Amino acid sequence: MDDFFFSLVLAGISVGSVYALIAIGLNLTFWTTRTLNFGQGSLMMLCAMLVVFLASQGLAMALAVIGGLLVVAALGVFVERFTIRPALVASGGSMGWVVSTLGFGIVLQGVAAKYFGSQAMAFPDVLFTTQDYVTVLGQHLSLQYLVVLALSVSLILLLELFVRKTVWGQAVFAISLDPELALVQGMPVRLIILGSFVASSLLAGVAGILSAQIGGTVDPAFGFDLVLFGFVAAVLGGMGSSFGALVGGLAVGLISKLVGGYISTAAEHAIAFALLMAMLALRPQGLLGRPEVSKA
Amino acid sequence: MLEVQDLHVGYGAVQALQGVTLGAAAGGITAVLGANGAGKSSLLRAISGIAPVTQGRILLDGRDITALPAPARARLGLAHAMEGRRLFRQLTVEDNLKLAWSFGARNVPLAEAIVEVRQRFPILGQRARTPAGLLSGGQQQMLILSCATIRSPRYLLLDEPSLGLAPIIVQQIYAFITDYARRSGTTVLIAEQMATLALKVSDRGYVLRRGRVVLEGRSEELLAGGSEDKLAANYL
Amino acid sequence: MSRLRSALSRTVAHPAFHLALVLALLLGCRWLSAGTVQILTFALIAIIFSQSINLLTGLAGQISLGHAGFFGIGAYCSGILAKTHGVDVALSVPLAALLAAAAGWLLSFPAGRVRDVYLAMMTLGFGMIFYEIVREWNDVTGGTMGFPGVPSAALHTLSILGVRIDAAAYFQVVLLVAALVLVLVRNLTQSRIGRAFFAIHVSEVAAGSIGIPAGATKQLAYTLSGALAGLAGGLYAHLVGYLGPESFALPRSIEVLVIAIVGGLGSIAGQVLSATVFTFLPERLQVFSEYQFIAYGVILTFSLVVLPRGIAGLLLDPPRFIKPRALRRAVALRPDPAVLRPEAAGGGDGSLEVASVTMRFGGLVALDDVSLRIEPGRITALVGPNGSGKSTLVNVVSGLYRPSAGRITFEGRDITGLPDHRIAAARVVRTFQDPRLVPHFTVRENLLLGAHRLLRHTGAAAALALPSALEEEAQQLAAIEAVLALTNLTAVADRTISTLPYGTRRMAEVGRALLARPRAILLDEPAAGLSEAEMERLAQVIRDMKAMGLAILLIDHHMDFLADLVDDVVVLDSGRVIYRGGIAEMRRDPAVIAAYLGDEAATASEHAHA
Repeated sequence: MDDFFFSLVLAGISVGSVYALIAIGLNLTFWTTRTLNFGQGSLMMLCAMLVVFLASQGLAMALAVIGGLLVVAALGVFVERFTIRPALVASGGSMGWVVSTLGFGIVLQGVAAKYFGSQAMAFPDVLFTTQDYVTVLGQHLSLQYLVVLALSVSLILLLELFVRKTVWGQAVFAISLDPELALVQGMPVRLIILGSFVASSLLAGVAGILSAQIGGTVDPAFGFDLVLFGFVAAVLGGMGSSFGALVGGLAVGLISKLVGGYISTAAEHAIAFALLMAMLALRPQGLLGRPEVSKA
Repeated sequence: MLEVQDLHVGYGAVQALQGVTLGAAAGGITAVLGANGAGKSSLLRAISGIAPVTQGRILLDGRDITALPAPARARLGLAHAMEGRRLFRQLTVEDNLKLAWSFGARNVPLAEAIVEVRQRFPILGQRARTPAGLLSGGQQQMLILSCATIRSPRYLLLDEPSLGLAPIIVQQIYAFITDYARRSGTTVLIAEQMATLALKVSDRGYVLRRGRVVLEGRSEELLAGGSEDKLAANYL
Repeated sequence: MSRLRSALSRTVAHPAFHLALVLALLLGCRWLSAGTVQILTFALIAIIFSQSINLLTGLAGQISLGHAGFFGIGAYCSGILAKTHGVDVALSVPLAALLAAAAGWLLSFPAGRVRDVYLAMMTLGFGMIFYEIVREWNDVTGGTMGFPGVPSAALHTLSILGVRIDAAAYFQVVLLVAALVLVLVRNLTQSRIGRAFFAIHVSEVAAGSIGIPAGATKQLAYTLSGALAGLAGGLYAHLVGYLGPESFALPRSIEVLVIAIVGGLGSIAGQVLSATVFTFLPERLQVFSEYQFIAYGVILTFSLVVLPRGIAGLLLDPPRFIKPRALRRAVALRPDPAVLRPEAAGGGDGSLEVASVTMRFGGLVALDDVSLRIEPGRITALVGPNGSGKSTLVNVVSGLYRPSAGRITFEGRDITGLPDHRIAAARVVRTFQDPRLVPHFTVRENLLLGAHRLLRHTGAAAALALPSALEEEAQQLAAIEAVLALTNLTAVADRTISTLPYGTRRMAEVGRALLARPRAILLDEPAAGLSEAEMERLAQVIRDMKAMGLAILLIDHHMDFLADLVDDVVVLDSGRVIYRGGIAEMRRDPAVIAAYLGDEAATASEHAHA
């Protein structure tokens, strides 16, 4: 097999699994509230930057990671309470929360730029180093890539198990199907919604750390690109479907890396967005999603 | 005892209930009748906590629950089988039952409760792994009733349980309801368009029209000869 | 406070004020510093750009997070045409606007098919694609290195039609363009086009029912919006003289969104103010420019919840959507009730015929071989228990669903499966169970929406406020007076719908349907939620419609409401017709009684009446 091709495929699968992770995070809030956090990218970025910062202050890597995750989890609560819920109550369609969460993301990005500077910061090696690799069938596989892949897939599987096998997970799914029925049957919908935002933010934080690990650097704008890829993955696979998120993420990762490798790196973005627009125009429910019937 | 006092329910500019007072005796079955749009569903939804009450009170055994959110009411032992055969269609029969059992006030262990359901409606046992959306209308209604009763609720609200079902299934459903009410001492409130059906099984009936109570009395009296025309007049 | 607002609103809207302001700026610019002139020019460009968002998002309700793309298309096109191909700026800018308009038109195809969050994502994607293309297409756009050397006022390299234009003169040119744009946008907002935009914003389905085609309307909105943004971009290019991709990235889209939202979506004056403020702030307030991005973020996070109508909501009266001149002209015309009477029917006997219609949704049969006929000058009721298929039938006839089998003909013409706005164009109009009016329009403005299909003047005529357009509007306004009298709404004609009670809104919806000059009208539960008095009023209106010769289908549950009103009744149960005939006999029909009250009641009733 062609070395170049193979390395692209591995890279594509690896980043794709992170995109899938982001998509799952987006799905979580979509299930419980039919909303998406347009500031998800900033949460990813902030977590990664905080890890760098805390580590540079001398904190052990594990603690730095925990610190970063705690902060974004708290921000997740803020997002639900102060940007999503008021917008949903004020109604007026989705424009309210789209703009609101977007605004929040911009605030985070601006604050990070102000405090940490706009330059890219090197991201320390959390898991292995860029030099580590294993040899399989004569090909060098970067351990970092493999670990990222393994972690992402594990998290996705864990989430699936949670939703399918535990009562609380089933409750989350139930709320996505019929929130009123869930209320009437005694499910603490408010609490579960809050939980979904916290979980979504945690996933964003993890995705941010993993992406920064692969990419090697992090800067204030880095989350934005990633969340767009996450969107594409979610839409491609089908909004609300976990398996779809995985398929979508891998597809986007593979296609963009291959296009990037053989055509040009800039086309990476363009092809992703072209995929997004095509899917939205032709089959908005994605490959594996359920069609949303909305009567204007 | 479930009481509703001078209840007003409004959705924005529309007043669905305009001052309804009624009482459902403990351990009995009370029927709420009326044509479509009369306010039956709004009444039940207000009691279970998912309709906006603008005035009035709701009392469960003397306790004012008007301000209590819906999940809290469920934990007090209130169960509501909503209109439109609402189920989690993508979940299996088993999962629906489990969910219904998990979050309310529980009196019976899950395993025992499931056994009871299967005894009552064997078909549900056979189709335990079937997604609820694939059941027939009658089976879905059986599942809904099972979900509503699995927590041995103290107050049971049923919204048009007979809707769209074949007469023979309706008989089955109503047989279950009357049997259950008799055995468990639950306070049952049934909203129906099929007036005679509901009146035959209930102790007391209320007829709603345009959000108000226009007729009430003992069910036998409402059913009695002569009253039919009055009844019909309110519908037709 | 409200007196102050009214005074302020009147001043701001007054043509004399506009003229004075423009003249003052035109003449006074020579005395201002070069820096101020430049900022003012930027502000004017921001004003034009914000109007593009105003049209698309404020009026038509289509969110756009990528408008920098259109702005950039305009900028690069004009810049490239002028510099690389030597096209005169007087030509390159309009061409650029045209190209941006074409881009808008193209985007409307995928964008028009999605809503809400998907639309937000799509427009975000559009903006990003444009950015990437500009960065990559080195040969043409200069890529990341930028595109210098565009003829520019600031660099004294600009000449239009051979005349050298310095910074002050460019300001004057841009001022005139901006003034023209504002006048045109205001005219459009107060025309049938602006009102149609609002209609599809509120409910595409309701708009279709009175003949407003959602798809075509959205296309127009995107095209116009693209044109305006492209125009702003072109003017921008010849101000700065240098184009770099960073100027056309997400921050630009965010900025214009902030301006539009803070100014108040739908308000032109508000956005003029907001654009000026947000252009001056970063220049004058150092601290603001440092925290600019964060400030925008904060504003976006809270603005739509805290101040949904923006500055305009605070300072000004709500804008109105009918041209004052048309209103004045209408007063002179006398309302003639006969103008509502539908003209002599086309083919056939003017009846609406539903023939063996079946409607299946997956496995569910909602309508099973249903046939009925409504005739001019007759009121037919359609009744049936919950879930019997009444609304489905109306939805099929009005074009929201295509029937699985069967035909629907009206006046001899087959209208089966036509889209909803074409059915409305065929003079078959319907109302909805919940009245979907535009909440911030007055009763009069909502009624005028009904006449949309009858206003035949073009968009250009509307934008230029030509006398022919005004005359047409005045005539429809006169017809509205007749409808207002009929529905007893004259007293509240100029009150905003959201302040009026439900019964009044219901009447307004019926009135709006009447203005579409139907020959057949389908009323879906019009009496729901009405008081006794309101029902009486509604019944009278329906009788008047019958006298006008309309074919009327009335769905309702309130039997007493129907009793004295209808000529015959069709009863549906589980998708099938189970009775056809007079209403008195219907009450005794065993099949009907069984359907409503249950089988035992039917038997008992039979015995009672035997």
